[in-house]
Amino acid sequence: MFEHAQKAIELAEKLGADEAEVYISYNHSISADIRKNTIESAKENVSQGIGIRSIINGAVGFASTNNVSRIEDVINISVSSAKVRDSDPEWTSLPSNAKYPAVSGTYDKRISDIGLDDCIGLTGKMIEGALSVPDVNTTSGSFSTSYNKHLIMNTNGVEIVDEGTGVSGFVDVITTKGDISTAYDFEVSRSLDIDVFGIGASASSLAIRSQNGISIEPKKTNVILHPFAFSDIFENTFEPSIDADNMQKERSSLIGKKEETIATPNLNIIDDGLLEGGIETSISDEEGTPSQRTQIIENGIFKSFLYDNYTAGKDNTSSTGNGMRHSYVSSPSVGPRNLIVEYPSSDVIAGTDEGVFINTVIGAHTANAISGDFSVEARNAFTIKDGQIDKPIKSLMLSGNIFEMLNKVTGAGSDVRKVGGTVVPSLRISEMSIVG
Amino acid sequence: MSEVGFYDVRMIDATSTSIVLDNGNIEEISVNYSKGCGARALCGGSWGFTTAEGEFDLKAAIDSASELAAQMNSISPKDEVKLKPVEKPVIKSIPTAKIDPADVPIEEKVQLLKDIEDHAKMDGVSSTSAVYSEASVKVHYISSEGIDCEYSLIRTGFAISAVATENGSYQVGRESRFGVCGFELFEKNDALALARSAGETAVELLGAEQAKGGTLPVILDPELAGVFAHEAVGHASEADLVLEGSSILADRLGEQIASPLVNIIDDPTLHEYGYYPFDSEGVMSSKTTIIKDGVLNSYLHSRETAQALGGTPGNSRAQGYSEPVVRMSNTYIDNGDSNFDEMLEEIGNGMYLTGSRGGQVNTGEGIFQFNAEKGYLIENGEVTRLLRDVSLSGKTLEILNNVALVGNDLKMHSGRCGKSGQLAPVSDGSPHISISKALVGGV
Repeated sequence: MFEHAQKAIELAEKLGADEAEVYISYNHSISADIRKNTIESAKENVSQGIGIRSIINGAVGFASTNNVSRIEDVINISVSSAKVRDSDPEWTSLPSNAKYPAVSGTYDKRISDIGLDDCIGLTGKMIEGALSVPDVNTTSGSFSTSYNKHLIMNTNGVEIVDEGTGVSGFVDVITTKGDISTAYDFEVSRSLDIDVFGIGASASSLAIRSQNGISIEPKKTNVILHPFAFSDIFENTFEPSIDADNMQKERSSLIGKKEETIATPNLNIIDDGLLEGGIETSISDEEGTPSQRTQIIENGIFKSFLYDNYTAGKDNTSSTGNGMRHSYVSSPSVGPRNLIVEYPSSDVIAGTDEGVFINTVIGAHTANAISGDFSVEARNAFTIKDGQIDKPIKSLMLSGNIFEMLNKVTGAGSDVRKVGGTVVPSLRISEMSIVG
Repeated sequence: MSEVGFYDVRMIDATSTSIVLDNGNIEEISVNYSKGCGARALCGGSWGFTTAEGEFDLKAAIDSASELAAQMNSISPKDEVKLKPVEKPVIKSIPTAKIDPADVPIEEKVQLLKDIEDHAKMDGVSSTSAVYSEASVKVHYISSEGIDCEYSLIRTGFAISAVATENGSYQVGRESRFGVCGFELFEKNDALALARSAGETAVELLGAEQAKGGTLPVILDPELAGVFAHEAVGHASEADLVLEGSSILADRLGEQIASPLVNIIDDPTLHEYGYYPFDSEGVMSSKTTIIKDGVLNSYLHSRETAQALGGTPGNSRAQGYSEPVVRMSNTYIDNGDSNFDEMLEEIGNGMYLTGSRGGQVNTGEGIFQFNAEKGYLIENGEVTRLLRDVSLSGKTLEILNNVALVGNDLKMHSGRCGKSGQLAPVSDGSPHISISKALVGGV
């Protein structure tokens, strides 16, 4: 499909587009799925498609297909859709060709060469890891590898081809004796370096430790959120608020807060499209703006929203390299790259006299994405007493507000995890409200 | 070494259009054409699955799935998987579009969406957005057992959301309707009134009080009770989860698991958003009573799980070319004979929860969490003050047993359900129900 890019651009221009852009992606993935301690199925997926943006007088039309024989139709539709719309005076232009940075750790030849037999072997090791702990079954899980390549070409001279690899392993487990308890663990990486045995073993150990939970009284206390729990809440509350599109549409609690202190002074949050081996690392964003590192919160002070090319034009500023797509079927919109949360690390559990440790939460997507209020059910939670994990908690609801939390971070572990694009350690927050 | 004993292929040809409006401006007009197939093969106890996109080669797709299955089975042999035998589906009464959205000019759709968005604007509302979508899909299924069938379906829908702001506080109101129908969706639903209601909800919530958490008696409206039926009960009744050991409903068929007032049904033949004439394994769709008079009556099945556990297949579904998994269609709590006033009177003091912001469930432990759009205090049998950020969580089996009254005003809501990384159109519903004791979360 890649060979059609140049012609597609030319056809869009011929049909009347002032500017045009082609995005083509190709993805090849192999995976093996687990069901109840056995490797049940093997999958091999090849997906590719083309998305075309045509601009006429600042009005944008978009169309896409996975079918080479429909490319001409799609170009026609993208041009005619642009013609239906009123001109948008706030449109500036598509990104121009620029100098692109080098990135590293995003491609591992071992992954692009891997066969099903190796995938099955690694999946088996994950099951072995889980079953190394007695009285636990793996209910489901998966090990998968992917290779992807994409091209961005536009009428302003952008012509980028980037490729990368990825690998992920996850497993769900349940106890088989006594009190029923579940747990999961997963790892994602751009290189074939994940510890599959460890993923299984850690999920199983957590499920066993979570058995026979106690009830606790409602209170305000120190809560330490594991990277899984924190990132789940963070992605559904904080991330939407730093999106310039939401800010421009008055759907962000951070409107007018630039240069204000919004977090504890030791906290830094950085959006980094260049992070070595980052899940969201690439030489450019998905509309051809070079990737960069953007300080969002610096020593507690709010420094910047995230911009794609369009929202940057509206605010008379530059794109921060955050024009992202869900796939070739969607046009770019603001999205985070690798969002890194930094806080000075310590032995955070040991430094906590009393509190609660929460591994994961369910229901974070029900949060109020603007106000940052949330109320979630905590899973695999434990009491902390005198600097040690004490007893498992049966059921626990955690409520709060992300912006209040940012001011109440009082500690961090050294256990930094890549949870997709969010890179974060365990964080301790004071005075969180819990209902048991 | 085993031979490949079964294969099937779903070939899909789809066109979809979406229009996004934001604060009165067209944000996006987007059209997608897609074509491709998903092929499965079974060798002994191993499945191979592959997808091909564009102008695919059918034989190559089947061969590739067969190779994966055979390779998997030789590296990791296991007990043979058997599939429940099925008949070729008979397709009857498929919903048709009275007004094909493809015949409606794009300008008219844009104008309608602008009108809808306009109605959500009112004092206090700071921002609005509206989405229109239409999709036509043709599904063709073939299997090595000689089944060969196809259908075409049109889905149309819209969603509106309004944000109200005051003193740094933000509240959102949302409404949406999606159906297996054409542009007549807008004749059956008063989109303008729904938009107004979304705006009003957002504004009202600005003045709402924070809910105080605790264990109380509650009344759930049809939308939220429908989410409970889907999330907490429906998912746990999916036989793939039962088989893998992650359902609280495993080994409970025939057991009284709920108040005798509770009947929960999954019915893909209803012309609601979760409709399909045959499932992703070419099995004719049929109604399943999951809970009958409080007794667990049946799981939802694929051909594999139906053979393993005994039952009727027909609930295997997939998003696009993805691998089919056991899922719900149109899931609801059936009508009882109480009414809302009786519920208020019986509860006396508690909370009335309406609308849904979504939910999540841990089927293995039988624990769920979901958030209501609005909550109201019930004081001395009367609905009084409005509350915001109210969530409900608890144990599925406890809530089922605590159902005290079931209303007679069943209503369905359309939405999309996520499982195994795939989204599927579904609907869920219920009449009003009252629950004698539930854990309500607040701040």
